[in-house]
Parts: sequence; structure tokens; C-alpha cells
Amino acid sequence: MSELRRAATVAVAIARKDALSELRGRQAAGSTIFFAALVLLLFGFALGPDSRRLADAAPGLLWLAIVFGGLLTVSRLHQLEADDGALEQLALYPVDRRAVYAGKALAGAAAMLVLGALLLPVVAILYAVPIGAAWLPLVAALLLGAIGFAAVGTAYAGLTVKLRAREVMLPLLMLPILAPLLLAGVRATAAALGGDPLGELASWLQLLVAFDVIMLVVGAGTYGFLLED
Amino acid sequence: MPQTTIYVAPRFPGTLGTTPLAVATVDLSRLFGRSAALAGVSVNVEVGRTVALLGPNGAGKTTLLRLCATAIRPSFGSLAIDGIDALRHPELIRERVAYLSHATGHYDDLTASENLRFAATMFGWGAAEGAAVCDEALAGVGLDAVAGDRAGTFSAGMRKRLALARMLVARPSLVLLDEPHAALDDEGMRLVDRLLGQWHEAGVTVLVASHQAERIAGAADGSIRLDGGLVVEVSGAGVTLAAPATSLAPQVATSRVDR
Repeated sequence: MSELRRAATVAVAIARKDALSELRGRQAAGSTIFFAALVLLLFGFALGPDSRRLADAAPGLLWLAIVFGGLLTVSRLHQLEADDGALEQLALYPVDRRAVYAGKALAGAAAMLVLGALLLPVVAILYAVPIGAAWLPLVAALLLGAIGFAAVGTAYAGLTVKLRAREVMLPLLMLPILAPLLLAGVRATAAALGGDPLGELASWLQLLVAFDVIMLVVGAGTYGFLLED
Repeated sequence: MPQTTIYVAPRFPGTLGTTPLAVATVDLSRLFGRSAALAGVSVNVEVGRTVALLGPNGAGKTTLLRLCATAIRPSFGSLAIDGIDALRHPELIRERVAYLSHATGHYDDLTASENLRFAATMFGWGAAEGAAVCDEALAGVGLDAVAGDRAGTFSAGMRKRLALARMLVARPSLVLLDEPHAALDDEGMRLVDRLLGQWHEAGVTVLVASHQAERIAGAADGSIRLDGGLVVEVSGAGVTLAAPATSLAPQVATSRVDR
């Protein structure tokens, strides 16, 4: 088995294990989605009944809800490893640490994509935003955003999982790094929903791709050190 | 199961023509903050021997096992497993070492079988042969009847049995056991005794830390007694004190112990 194939097998096994745990521990995953939807509802109340105002704010509010829900998601995916010493056991397997990172990031990206996909119709209903024609660029932005968020979140969750104040430290560390992703995601979503009159959608999606590549390379390179005690 | 081979037989510098060493430490030390959990340990353990690590709580037994497992890195000193430098090539050490710690490292939402098959994939087994090895290991520790139950529903003893099954799947050349009899019933303790016998017969080196000295004594060839991070006694066959590289190492480490 070539090294690359072995790494892919390891990454898929880790992602599959995380997905199984998420699906079987439905309570935690369900409450995260409910929390993010509740955030959207409360933003709606805060902005008032002006439908134009709500539609204008919809892209930003969608991505903020994704970020809040995502913080809980990546934290929970690493909490699985913190229970009963699983993270130490994971670190002791004779596997490439980059493959472990890839597996955790894959699971995180899949969970984030599901979260984003479920929040899209909530935004459409709450803020009266038509998404029918814009679904393809919206899915592209969500997919790229999910990968970037998981790339950053996996590395930082690995760093903070052993800390007592991890619930506070994770957002404190992640949110500044996520600023470019949030900006590009919001602008790409706004462009997609508005019909992209200025032709800027592709540029924002390219920025998301660049963010993802940089964060995946940095995350894969540093994750092995984070697993060391 | 793929294993990287970088030598023909276990060797260690200066021991040509003698029994190969499974574990060789020189001035091995580990500090946690200002406390030295292990202070200048220099011992050699021969291949295929079962060696008991004895000593009171806080003696450094778990730290020595965790260093050998590459779970932590030494503060200073050297450690070679089967002649391989553990500091330079921890990834090669992980291919040949299996470690049973106090925490069992299972995923509660996965079944016993799924936990073990995940471990088999991590150890490099293919799907078909991995499944067979896992089934054999589950039967070996008496968990085959509950293979489809989630690990989260298991008692502490059953979780330890599942961790022992994971060690069987690993097919290691060095087994590290930290209080293997803890949380087990009489049948579970006999299982550990039986596994110790199997590993000994198979030529696998075993380091076992235990408070049950009399229970371990029957299975162990030799013993290392630790106290306060220092080796205070080495006895029996297969284990010897090694010459420290510098006589200063233990003093340097112990001088930092908070007492």
C-alpha cells in the first residue's frame, strides 16, 4: 500500500468514525443546529420587521450563525477524542499525523456543510430571501467556507482540547483568523443572492479557495506538534 | 501488517554479541514543571523478557511507560526501543509498541467491534484480514458476545478487556501495561495473567507496572523498583542497570524535585 493510499485510508477511517459518533449522538448535533437557527431568529427580532433590511443583512447573519454553530461543532468533534484518553491513543497509532488532521478536518467540513445547508432554508424563510436561482454558487461558497472553517477549527481544537478553558479559548483564537473567511463568505453569498451584477462572485470564491489551501497546509504541518504532550 | 524494517536484528551500540535489548535508557529524565517524575534512569531490558515496574504511587512507573510509548518526550537522556532512537524516530517506535494506560481510549458511541476495527485500520490491517484479527481478539478477551454493543455501555472491566483486545490487534514487539489488573474481576485478572504468558512464549517484551507485586512476580523475569523518579533496585533476569552517560544527570533532575 502506497503511503498516500495508506494516509487516505486513515483519514477516511477517522472521518467515518467521527461521522458515526455524530449521527449516534444526535442530541448534541441537533442542539447545535437548533442553536444556530435560534441565532438567526433572534437576529431577525433584533433587526425588526423591515423585510428589505432583513434581506440585506441575510448573508452576514447566515455566516455568523454558521460560525457560532461551527465553533460548537469543531469543539465537539475534538471532545470525542478527549473523553477517556482517546486523543492520546490516536496520537500513538503508527500513522502520519497529517492523515489524522485530514480525517478530523474532513469530518469537520462535512458537519459544517450539513449545518450550512440546513441553515440556508431557515434564512430563506425567516428573511424572505429567494435562493432558488442562486443555489449553485451558494453551495460552492458554503462548501469552501466549510473546508476553511474545518481547516482552522481542527488545528485550534487540537490545541485547546486539553485546556480547562477550551470553550473560551477556542473562539478567542479562531475568530480573528476566520475574519477573511467570514468576509469572503458574506460577500460571495451577497453576490450570489443579488445576481452578481458586478461580477465579483468568482473573486470572492477564489479568495475562499486561497484561504482553504493556506489553512490546510498550515494545519497539516502543525497538527502533529499539537498532539505531542 | 506493514512494518518499516530498518535493521536485521535488534542491536544497541556496545552490545554486539550479547543479548539484544528491547529497551535501553541512559539518564532518561522527565520533568513536569519543577518536578522530576523520572530522574536519570539508566536501565537495559533484554528482548523477550517480562519485567515488572514496582514502586509506590508517584515513583515514576507511569512516566517511564509513557516515555517508552512515545506519549511524552524525555526532558533529557536517551531512549532506544529495539535499537531505534525513540526521540529521532517515534513513528517507528509506534509500529512496534502497544500501551495499556489508565484511560482506555475508546469511543463511547461506537460498538466494541467498530472500535477495534478502527484500531485495526490505524495499525495498518486491510479490511478483510483486519476483521478476522478483530474477531479473534474479541474472542480472546471474552467480548465476542457483546461485540455489537456500544463501548459507552461497558463497565470499567469490559473497557479494559477491549483495550487489551486492541493490544492483540497491534501485534507489538513491546507491550507496556500500566496496572493491567485494576478494575478487573477474577476472570479478567486471569485473562491478563494468560496474556502475559502468551506474550512471554511469543518472545514479546513486556514492561508491566503494578501494585500487585506478588501477582506479577510469577510472570516476571525481573523487576525494576522505582522511588521518587529514581531506580532504587534492579533484580532478576533480563534487566540490568546501565552506565549513565554522566553522573550528573540524576542529581540535576532530583535537585529540581519539589519536596
